[in-house]
Amino acid sequence: MSVQLTEEQIALLNDRDSHKVLATVDESGNPHVVFKQSIHVAEDGNIHYLELLESSRTNHNLVRAIWFDRKVSIVVKGGDKQSFQIKGEPLEVHVTGPLFEKHYVEIQERLGDVDLAGVWVIEPQEVINENFWLRKVDEEAKHPLFLHLDRIAKTKVQH
Amino acid sequence: MSVALKRTFQHELSLNDVVAKYPDLPRLVIIKTDVQRRGIHYTERALSIVNPDIHQMRSPYLFGSRDGEIKDLPESLLLRDGTTILVDPTPLEQNPYLVDLVDGRLALVDNDEVVEFVKLWPKPKYYDVKTSSGIPMSHIASARPQRLNIFQSSYCHFWAEHKECRFCDIVNHTKQQKNELGVPVRLKPYDVSETIREALKEKGRFTSICLTAGSVLKGNELFDNEVDFYIETLQAIGENFATKKFPSELISSAFNEKQLARLYAETGITSYTSDLEVLGEEKFNWICPGKAESVGYQEWKQRLVRAVDIFGRGNVGTGLVGGVELAKPYGFLSENDALNSTLDEAESLAEQGVTTFFIVWVPRPGSDFHDQQNPSLDYFIRLASGLHQLRVKYGLSIDYNDYRRCGNHPDTDLSRLL
Ligand code: SF4
Repeated sequence: MSVQLTEEQIALLNDRDSHKVLATVDESGNPHVVFKQSIHVAEDGNIHYLELLESSRTNHNLVRAIWFDRKVSIVVKGGDKQSFQIKGEPLEVHVTGPLFEKHYVEIQERLGDVDLAGVWVIEPQEVINENFWLRKVDEEAKHPLFLHLDRIAKTKVQH
Repeated sequence: MSVALKRTFQHELSLNDVVAKYPDLPRLVIIKTDVQRRGIHYTERALSIVNPDIHQMRSPYLFGSRDGEIKDLPESLLLRDGTTILVDPTPLEQNPYLVDLVDGRLALVDNDEVVEFVKLWPKPKYYDVKTSSGIPMSHIASARPQRLNIFQSSYCHFWAEHKECRFCDIVNHTKQQKNELGVPVRLKPYDVSETIREALKEKGRFTSICLTAGSVLKGNELFDNEVDFYIETLQAIGENFATKKFPSELISSAFNEKQLARLYAETGITSYTSDLEVLGEEKFNWICPGKAESVGYQEWKQRLVRAVDIFGRGNVGTGLVGGVELAKPYGFLSENDALNSTLDEAESLAEQGVTTFFIVWVPRPGSDFHDQQNPSLDYFIRLASGLHQLRVKYGLSIDYNDYRRCGNHPDTDLSRLL
């Protein structure tokens, strides 16, 4: 089921200075994780990713994902330690048509003589805030037993 | 009043059955195959959103359509994984898939159920331009989503001798196209060159050029004139490129080594296909009498093998009209026998570096096989999988004829991940 990204998440994904990582799996279930700065949120509310290499592992894994209903995962991290993980599903790949041609021209303006294999459209289905301090508060509320006893001992051991 | 009976597929596995039977094969490619097998019919609702300014409408083609008519309809469909469906408008009594409008989007519909949403092919910009000789450029090069087709000549000399392939309607369709649309039967190299130049202005639109035509038997040696025509046209196309070679496929008669060497040396062509159409000498002799008499089955195969020395492994292939091996009355009686025989022969070619692919046989009104039926979806899927597995086994790439650079072969759609 798709979820709508918040303004904050969209801004982070569309910020060129954010670090963006795309994780896919191959046919044996082995993960493949790569920085992909072309990831952005498009007007349709979905995440778009420009694949420049037809034969790349990521592209092959995305084809498998769309063929066999597998999910992919994207992590974005901003300069201020904000970080989200978005799990989603490839809905479509544009291999021709106006959107493809627009990105084809733009990517060449930016990078020079490169090709474009496809514009992948990924529907966000789950967003996890990966900010550690928020996750810590959350875990402590949900799982109060998940801690080592020395952390709550009367006398703390000095290192 | 006669009542047309709808073709039914009750005795065959349905689309959903086949999808469930082969969980390792993509549902989208299975859908494509079934849509090609059964054809499509656009509803009025679907046609209401077709816009000829942005959607590619049917343009001249070498072979005719299943309804035997030339109508102003969308060219064809795209699936969401980028898979192309080349499919004909088909009379309703043949029970085609419907292309309907559902929630504002085009969808393939069968038995009132949405099977998959689809898109129409985008119209290339050069379709609005004419050559300086006044011919619409869409009559010179017909587009696919990422490829340009040049049908250099739409006449085949086997027809003159009544030795045409039994599934083929090229000459009947050519006459119809010439009469109704004024499409030239033979293209002039300068028109082709000008059209390619125009098409290349659209950045990101095309990845390959395919050149094909009917067989020309004349010349000092058999096919010499055909080779000359191709060289002339390919050289004209080559004027538009900065590199000598450009991604391209020639689909032609089975040329001898001397002819192939000339083609490779004198033009920018990068891959070579010569269609056996059906594998197995007995079936070939029956279904392709002209090819059998002029070259012969074994020699045709040998010419393909020799082409590998010139073009390299992965750049030579042969196309089949998948399913004609089961045509009546001399075809195989069982799909299992047909499949085993075809894959055995394809393996003997793969061992020698020649790859085999197929198109889904569509019995066309202008062909000798016009009143026959194509085989089951299960058969086509097993054939697609079998041919793909041969490429895996023998390490044969199919880059030149894959989902993007061709889009008409279910088996090469599967080979997208090679
Ligand atoms: S060689 Fe056969 S299939 Fe090709 S155009 Fe001639 S008759 Fe048709």
